Amino acid sequence: MKEQSLVSDYIPILIQLCVAIGFVVATMLATHLIGPKRKGANKLESFECGIESEGNARLPFSVKYFLTAILFVLFDVEVIFMYPWAVNYKTFLHEMGMQGFFSMVIFLSLFLVGFYYIVRKGALKWE
Amino acid sequence: MNAIIALSLLGIFTLFTGIFNWRKAMLPIVVIGLAGVFVLNGMDYFTTPSWYADYTHMVIFDRYAVVFSAALIMITAMLFFLCKQYYQKEDNNISDIYGLILFTLVGGMLMASFSNFAMLFLGIEILSIPLYILAGTKRLEVTSNEASIKYFLMGSFSTGFLLFGMALVYGAAHTFTLDGIRQYTDAHAGDLPTIFVAGIMLMLVGMLFKVSGAPFHFWAPDVYSGAPTLITTFMATVVKTAAFAALYRLLFYTFGSAKPIWFDALWGVAALTMIIGNFSALYQHGVKRMLAYSSISNAGYLLIGVIAMNTHSANSIFYYTLVYSLASLVSFGVLMLVTQDNGGDDSYTAFKGLARNNPALAGLMTLAMLSLAGIPPLAGFFGKYYIFINAMENGYIYIVLIAVANSLVGIYYYFKVIVAMFAKDTAPTKIAVQPAYLFALVVAAALLFVLGIFPDWVSGLMN
Amino acid sequence: MNSINEIIRTIPLNYYIFLSAVLFCIGVMGVLLRRNIIIIFMCVELMLNAVNLLFTAFSAYSSDPAGQVFVFFVMVVAAAEIAVGLAILVMIYRNLKTIDIDQLSRLKW
Repeated sequence: MKEQSLVSDYIPILIQLCVAIGFVVATMLATHLIGPKRKGANKLESFECGIESEGNARLPFSVKYFLTAILFVLFDVEVIFMYPWAVNYKTFLHEMGMQGFFSMVIFLSLFLVGFYYIVRKGALKWE
Repeated sequence: MNAIIALSLLGIFTLFTGIFNWRKAMLPIVVIGLAGVFVLNGMDYFTTPSWYADYTHMVIFDRYAVVFSAALIMITAMLFFLCKQYYQKEDNNISDIYGLILFTLVGGMLMASFSNFAMLFLGIEILSIPLYILAGTKRLEVTSNEASIKYFLMGSFSTGFLLFGMALVYGAAHTFTLDGIRQYTDAHAGDLPTIFVAGIMLMLVGMLFKVSGAPFHFWAPDVYSGAPTLITTFMATVVKTAAFAALYRLLFYTFGSAKPIWFDALWGVAALTMIIGNFSALYQHGVKRMLAYSSISNAGYLLIGVIAMNTHSANSIFYYTLVYSLASLVSFGVLMLVTQDNGGDDSYTAFKGLARNNPALAGLMTLAMLSLAGIPPLAGFFGKYYIFINAMENGYIYIVLIAVANSLVGIYYYFKVIVAMFAKDTAPTKIAVQPAYLFALVVAAALLFVLGIFPDWVSGLMN
Repeated sequence: MNSINEIIRTIPLNYYIFLSAVLFCIGVMGVLLRRNIIIIFMCVELMLNAVNLLFTAFSAYSSDPAGQVFVFFVMVVAAAEIAVGLAILVMIYRNLKTIDIDQLSRLKW
């Protein structure tokens, strides 16, 4: 593999970029010019049929969703520590015996404690 | 290291005392637990630090770390004595508040004992994240909310700078360990690459945010005056001590031989911090905000200790932070009592007549103010004395002159409080104080007095 | 692993440094100039991600895995931090019904 890349290596990317932008601009222009234009109250509705839509879509929604989402993010992100651990697990076994295993047990038990705390605090109760 | 593990477990346990409704037992458990942690930490003082090879040299409990950790634990324990009366009305989440304070202490101890950049970063974050929440614990008060969000924004902003600095230093030195970086710095002392220099500077910016050094201090007065006073006390004492422990450790153990690079910048910051802190404190109408600016100016004096960086510096910084923490504890403690019944009015006039109605409180406050002002028999004087002498040994005359002039300015606004307390009052009120609360304040004030007479007791602990 | 490092190394190190410096500066300017707190959060995240990019690049160039492990720490801490930040934001929204930072001027800035 080459150590240095030259400017000329990027020309395909440049061409790709031009094509992408050109396609977007061309289609937008084309639909604008060719397509029929009708304006009316019904046409501007979000949905032409079904129940009449009410209010703004950007309503603040219940904080319960937020709480669940945040807790999910917190627990979800910790998974990234398990990937390198799992990949190198065999090396751990060779070098340190069961210590590598018990480190992860401690790590996960702290999570269980946290999870138990959340449940007992009632953060996951929906009603 | 055992102290950190025990403290983390204590924090988790405290969270659960709230769930299982052991309200009564909570405070004794925390205080006894902290005493146990103090002993565990003290045991490390006598062992050689190499014992901790188990933790792959992420943290090192040398004497520097042990001594600073001991001070942090002690001040936190004293704060817990103030907690009960301060959070009287808060019933539902008191265990969470206690737990968060303990987690903050874990972060502070990591900041005093890191020997790897990863631990510095994690320590700062473990310290900061609970504090963001603690600053907003008065949920219904907008000022508390505002302090919380401002602290959060400035904290994460400064962490960004710190991390960018770390990345650049890592790029040059190819390691995160303090030993490795010191070897690199020593080897290339004459011609350090640009990214390394930029890295040092960015890390300094990040750390100066944390210690509220002058161009980066603007968040401090708002956060200090908006946060609940107990948390403000915590920030001014434990957080400040931990931040200085981390800053000095970082500069001394890694970038010591690169001193010409950061010396001028830090010299300027120290001078600016003292001047801005003191002169802004002069114009404050509220005592809480005055104490916030006083905290900034004290950061300036401490920075002189950091730039002096000789064999006595660690000791003098430790002595100063300990003494400043004790004095802040007393002054904020009395401030909390004065403001608890008058609707949060913390102006100088709120202190009028305190000497006649509550002579004990007025006496404690006077001691704290005299110590902060640096009046000779008290410990605050020796704190400043050690710092200044230390800088003089290296021949830094000008910065010491600036500092002495600033101390004289400081005397004016500290005495304004004393004068207000001894002024005549028209509406006498007696302030109710719980015995535990008074006990903590008296112990802190007594320590100020004792440490002033026998400064050698703590000033040689790291030798 | 080595092949990935080699692929990363095909682009000169300076380019990574410049890119992350630019991203970092965009983040800093965003924090200082924007008034909506959520956008400020996003700019802080941008700063941290610029740092992550830099860590990864240096790590690949020095064949030292420590830098990549550090990225994990940064990511996890950033997630924890943003969780707390959003919780604070909800608290403020309940009291003030706005997340414009200019409304938060009861304390002098």
